[in-house]
Amino acid sequence: IQAAWSLKTRALTEMVYVDEIDMDQEGIAEMILDENAVAQVARPGTSLKLPGTSQGGGPSPAVRPVTQSGRPITGFVRPSTQGGRPSTMEQAIRTPRTALTTRPITSASGGYIRPGTASMLTNPDGPFINLSRLNLTKYAQKPKLAKALFEYIFHHENDIKNALDLAALATEHAQFKDWWWKVQIGKCYYRLGLYREAEKQFKSALKQQDMVDTFLYLAKVYLRLDQPVTALNLFKQGLERFPGEVTLICGIARIYEEMNNISSAAEYYKDVLKQDNTHVEAIACIGSNHFYSDQPEIALRFYRRLLQMGVYNCQLFNNLGLCCFYAQQYDMTLSSFERALFLAENEEETADVWYNLGHVAVGIGDLNLAYQCFKLSLVNNNDYAEAYNNLAVLEMRKGHTEQAGALLQTASSLAPHMYEPHFNIAILSEKVGDLQRSYTAAQKSEEAFPGHVDTQQLLKQLKEHFAML
Amino acid sequence: MPEGTGALREVLPKQGTGGEHRPALPAQPAARSRPFSPFAGQLSVEDTVAMVLCKPKILPLKSVSLEKLEKLQRAALEAAQPPEAAPPPSAGAAPPRQ
Repeated sequence: IQAAWSLKTRALTEMVYVDEIDMDQEGIAEMILDENAVAQVARPGTSLKLPGTSQGGGPSPAVRPVTQSGRPITGFVRPSTQGGRPSTMEQAIRTPRTALTTRPITSASGGYIRPGTASMLTNPDGPFINLSRLNLTKYAQKPKLAKALFEYIFHHENDIKNALDLAALATEHAQFKDWWWKVQIGKCYYRLGLYREAEKQFKSALKQQDMVDTFLYLAKVYLRLDQPVTALNLFKQGLERFPGEVTLICGIARIYEEMNNISSAAEYYKDVLKQDNTHVEAIACIGSNHFYSDQPEIALRFYRRLLQMGVYNCQLFNNLGLCCFYAQQYDMTLSSFERALFLAENEEETADVWYNLGHVAVGIGDLNLAYQCFKLSLVNNNDYAEAYNNLAVLEMRKGHTEQAGALLQTASSLAPHMYEPHFNIAILSEKVGDLQRSYTAAQKSEEAFPGHVDTQQLLKQLKEHFAML
Repeated sequence: MPEGTGALREVLPKQGTGGEHRPALPAQPAARSRPFSPFAGQLSVEDTVAMVLCKPKILPLKSVSLEKLEKLQRAALEAAQPPEAAPPPSAGAAPPRQ
């Protein structure tokens, strides 16, 4: 009967198991009330919180869309992909955090309650294991049962305290010689926010037994403590022990991407592909880098490879359509977009596809079609700032200045990190004669994208004008 | 090359390319036309600032973990709604059995 119990426990855990290495939803409370920062202001290139210093080059915001934190859009999104660490509370509330909804989770425990309701899903009559009645000491003595039980408590019930108790008892019972329990205790500490203790546990586990997973967990701790350089060194150490290990190389590439060092990230993703040429994340990231570096044909090759591997979803077909269009393979473009629309799972994806179709329409010169596409995009997602901006540009071409102005206002308030709406407002106001508004808008545009030549020229012009008055 | 009229210059042929073609056509001395001078007759160059469009968006692919997470969240949301409908029927089903 123990075997059956053990099997059922593991099956239930497996239903809701999400690889802990990936799980990393950081709540607003953690971000704002971070006590782990060592220095007030980090030196450039050593912190994940300051993406502005783009050391590695790569396409500028003039060519590549930018997310809320100022980082360029990446080719791949994971549960831990940072939306960015916001500097103000207001920005924090705006940042979309959960996978489905755009409302942010206020603290990490809030996000984990949802996976915890998995027990409601699997057992409508009540929980399979009643935690409060468990005698943890008894189970700690039986290592095999204890391990299955721990995983159940940790993943299915999400009861970290009990899991930690069990793990502590089990470690004692194993006389601190079992690396597995140390890693589990480390995971519990990580979830509870006790990062330095987690670090200690993982390091001690590493001393006993080199395991790739332990390296990955320890790197996660360092990243949460905002020490990307330490994490990078750790990964390089890990690569000495496990040369060619794809997850470690991928980890390095991800850190470089987070630090906005796109060229190094691309190098490491290529290394990943040398080891494992079916690695979806690497292919997607390199593909998007090529697209935004003005090489859509190469990007097309990468995305076709993904298709070969059996990836079949809305995003891939959207990307294929875009690459085909810009690589001038017009026969495939529309059918790819059609497939993308068919595969879209929710309205936000549909909105994205219609937005890109709008771009295709602008490219072929059919401005009516473009207008309709952008409108459709807005129908599906009312907060699509880029679509508002592009609609405004089209309205300006038709001469409807006030409508354009209204649309631009909406766009700029929805997405203050994008420079395009601000720049367009500046131009519009200058044409109309409202120089003050033009100046403030141009300043916002410069803040968002300091390298934009046109903005600087406009500012210079306006300053000369004001100096004359 | 001066940067100001860059757009104009790139489209029109450069004066220097005439020289490369001469070795290939040795027997045509007088029939060649004058080198094309693009700036005779040009009065002024204006660089109007145009509005910028937002860029096309490459959609990021989702990882397996993210998809599973979304699936779980969706299932949990759905499970949260029907339980209001489920208990009354089960409460109604229990008494008749006795």
